[in-house]
Parts: sequence; structure tokens; C-alpha cells
Amino acid sequence: MPQNKITLTAKAGYPAVGEMRMNMKKEKATPSCAEAGILDNALVMIAVLDKKGTVTLWNRTAETVTGYPREEVVGNDGIWKLFYPDKEYRDSVTKKITSILATKKSIENVETTLRSRSGTPRTILWNTKKSSEHGETRIIAVGLDITELRKAELFRESVIENANILIAVLEKGTVIVWNKAAETITGYSQGEVIGKRDVWKWLYPDTAYRQTLTRQITEIIAKNRYFDDFVTEIVTKSGKKKIISWNTRQIGTGEAGQDIAIGLDVTARKEAEDALVSYMTEMAMRLKGPVEVIRDNLSDMSHLLREKKLDPDDIVVLLNGQVRNADKVALNVQEFQQAIAEKHQEIPEAYRKFLAGE
Amino acid sequence: MPDIVRPEELETKQIFLILASPGNIRECNIRIIRELATQGYHSVVITTNFPYNILKKLYGEGGIDLNGVCFVDAVTQTSIGSANNIPGVVRYVNNPANLTGMGIAVTEMLKEHKDEKICILFDSISTMLVYLPSADISKFIHFVTNKLRLMDISGVFLAAEKGIDPMLMNQLITFVDKVVDAG
Repeated sequence: MPQNKITLTAKAGYPAVGEMRMNMKKEKATPSCAEAGILDNALVMIAVLDKKGTVTLWNRTAETVTGYPREEVVGNDGIWKLFYPDKEYRDSVTKKITSILATKKSIENVETTLRSRSGTPRTILWNTKKSSEHGETRIIAVGLDITELRKAELFRESVIENANILIAVLEKGTVIVWNKAAETITGYSQGEVIGKRDVWKWLYPDTAYRQTLTRQITEIIAKNRYFDDFVTEIVTKSGKKKIISWNTRQIGTGEAGQDIAIGLDVTARKEAEDALVSYMTEMAMRLKGPVEVIRDNLSDMSHLLREKKLDPDDIVVLLNGQVRNADKVALNVQEFQQAIAEKHQEIPEAYRKFLAGE
Repeated sequence: MPDIVRPEELETKQIFLILASPGNIRECNIRIIRELATQGYHSVVITTNFPYNILKKLYGEGGIDLNGVCFVDAVTQTSIGSANNIPGVVRYVNNPANLTGMGIAVTEMLKEHKDEKICILFDSISTMLVYLPSADISKFIHFVTNKLRLMDISGVFLAAEKGIDPMLMNQLITFVDKVVDAG
């Protein structure tokens, strides 16, 4: 086989879109005028090849997408090499098409990335159809430019993959998307989760808790078809407990419907809130309680004095005690103020970050 | 008036947390010591609130035999500067935050009365909060209750009702056998 040919001949000698000889001579099979008009104005790339693979028609969209005018393509035997200049890639395309044509008579939805005249890559989805007219066989290759679609998909996948929140997409309960954050948060890899429905049992191993959540979710979904900020406690693969705030949305409806579940790991925030509450409670207890102690002791002293049960030395000791207590309360207040104002080290780290908005 | 601490429960060496209204704590202290004395207990009073001299006077006026009571006093030294221990009667700790000193003093006092039927009274957890974070108090009460159980000794801890936050209260409840609301 000559080096400069991509010969993708089907087993039974069937000339497919792959049978595109680079050394093609002038076209033999040509479409009718009406046919040519329709093909020429189609919004998809259309190339018509004769049985030897010579391009006999190259429509406007093909010109627009590839940048190559029909004058350069029709009858030109070098176009496929220009589209696929990388030999390794070209060989892989050839191999793929050969493999398909070994069992089928046409190509369906084969995706290739060609290089346009300007050098920009275009992703094309190819389909071919065999047609015979006046005893002449020709191949109609239809190429749909999905470059922008693929870019959008890649962008979406990139956003999903790199988001720092858990994203799972479910189809009839089966996980079809499980992003990196989901792996990090839960410890379960994509390989363990995708294509299965078991992950929820792993994340909620306690049957009673899982049933409670299922009931709550069912109730919410029945009313709203989605839920926002639904907080649950999951158990990760390593056995660690984490608090997740869930939001869900449905994409599409009916059989084709998918559910997207977005989970924000709020464990640290919850811990910070708990630490804050704990700290405030402790400080309240250590301020309110002692003041009450002093009040009650002074009240007791008053009673004892009235009952003449205290001598001057006793009074001195008791009063000194209350002075000391009051001093300590003042120190506690000072400590509290300092802690708030200067983010004193006695405030838990999580709370300091919380205050700093980190 | 019914006993604050039931004799049969004391006999089984139980440990109690008594919650009293702030205005009733002093009276509650005296009543418990009187009940303990009636049941033949030698009381070890750990006080962080009223000093030994005053408690001694109040107990005496309450008809309590002072031979059946000894004290670990964490108040007097900080109030008047110095005070000397009286073996078997009173041991002073320099301040209520000195938990190590308090632990040693209690241990020594229990040794001094090892042949007697002992019950300790801790007055009060609420006052300790003036000086220490709740975590330290919780650890100390845990230490003391463990020691009491190991030595097979009954104990009573006094606290002002509503003066303790739920977290500390939950911890204290796990250390004691029974919580009594003395009103």
C-alpha cells in the first residue's frame, strides 16, 4: 500500500468514507443537479465519494467548517492527509473505521478531530450512507461539526470535576457522575460508585437513619420536586462522620430524567458553630454563675449578720472572699473581651477562622 | 422533713449531685451534714464557698457534733492570707483553682479518717466556676468520684440549680449515681 494513502476499504470491497484515496483522480460519480443543490445547502458537512473514494461533492458547510474550498478538495487526493496531519492519529482513525466496516456497511457516529485550513481543530461526528444511481455506487459522508458542543461538554465536565462541592448525577437511582470532590469527601472513588446504586447505603449505613432520610426526602420531593439545604450526616469510607448540606435538581423529565445532587461539606462550619455555641455558653456560665454566687453569699452574710451569728473577723473573711470572687469575675470578663477583640488563642481555631470569614 | 439523701442509698456508697436554689444552698449544706451525722457518718466537707470558721459556727448552731466533721477549706487562705492546718480537723488549700492541692488535701483527710464511716460533701461546683473552666471542673469531679468509688466512700456534690450549662450537667450526671433536686 502506498505510503500516501489512507485506504479504509471494507471487507467486501465496499467503498466507505474511509476508502478515500489520496491519489484520487477526477470524480466519476456525481449527484444530480437537484440533489447537488440540496446537499450543497445542507447545514451539515456533506462529501460525496465515488466507489474509489474520489470526492465528487464538497458542500458549503464542508467548506466553512474545514476552510478548504471545493476547488481544492474535489478530485484532490491530499485532503485527508491535510485533515489528519499527525500520522499516528491518522492511523488510529483508519484502524477505527476499518474495524467498523469489517462488520457493518456504514459508519455511524464516528468522531474525529480534523485540522482546518486555519489550523484550528474541529471535532466532526461522521455518518456515511451508500447510494447507487445509474449503476454507479457512491458514498455520502455526512459530518456534523460538534466542536462547540464538545467544548461546552468539556467545560461542563471540567466544572463538575473541579468543583469543590460533591456533585452526583443519578439516572433512575444509578450514579452516572461522581466528581473528584465526591471522591474526596466520601472516600469512595468513581470506579466504586458509577453505574451502581449502593453508595447511599454506604454513606448511610444505619438502616433506621437511612429510612428516616428516605421518608423525609420523599415528602420534600413530593411537594417541591427538589430540596435545598437538606442536612444529613454521612459516614465516609474511612468511617469518619461528615455533615453534608444537600441541594438537588431534576434535569429533564420522565424516562430521560436525571437528578443532580450537590453536597456541600459543612462539617467544619458546623464544628465552628458548635464550638462558638460551646464557648459562648461556657463564658456565660462563668460570668452569670459567679455573679450569682457573690450575690447569694452577700445575701447569706446579711442574714447571718441580722441573726448576729458573725463576729468582725468572720465578716472580714467573708467580705474578702467576695472581693476575691468579684476580682475573678472581672478577670473572666476581661478574658472574654480580649478573646473576642484580639481573637485570643483560647477561642477555638475553627471559631477564629469563622470570625475572620475564612 | 424527708431526708435529702436517703440512708439506704448512702449505705450502698452511692454518689449524689444535689441541686439547690442559690438561696437555699447554705441551708442545704447544713441539713445534709446533720443527716449524715444522724446516720453515723464522719463528713469531710470540701468548701470553696464559706470558710471553715463560719461553717464550724453554723454547724454548731445547727446542733451538729463537730467531732463528726472535718474540712478541706479552699477559701480562708485566699481571704486572710494564712491559716494553719489542724490534723484531722481542717486542711487549707491556697485557692479553689488549686485542684492538685485540693486533691492531695482530700486524700490526706480520707487517710486520717480511714477507719471511720466517711461521706464527703463538696460545696460547691457553682463556686468552682468562678475560678476554673468547666472542662477542668469536670475532670476534677471525675477524679474525685473515681477515687470515692475505689475507696468505697459515699459522696455528695452541691450545685446551684440552673447555674450549670447543659454540657457540664450532662457530664456530671454521668459521674454520679443520682441527681436530687433539693429545691
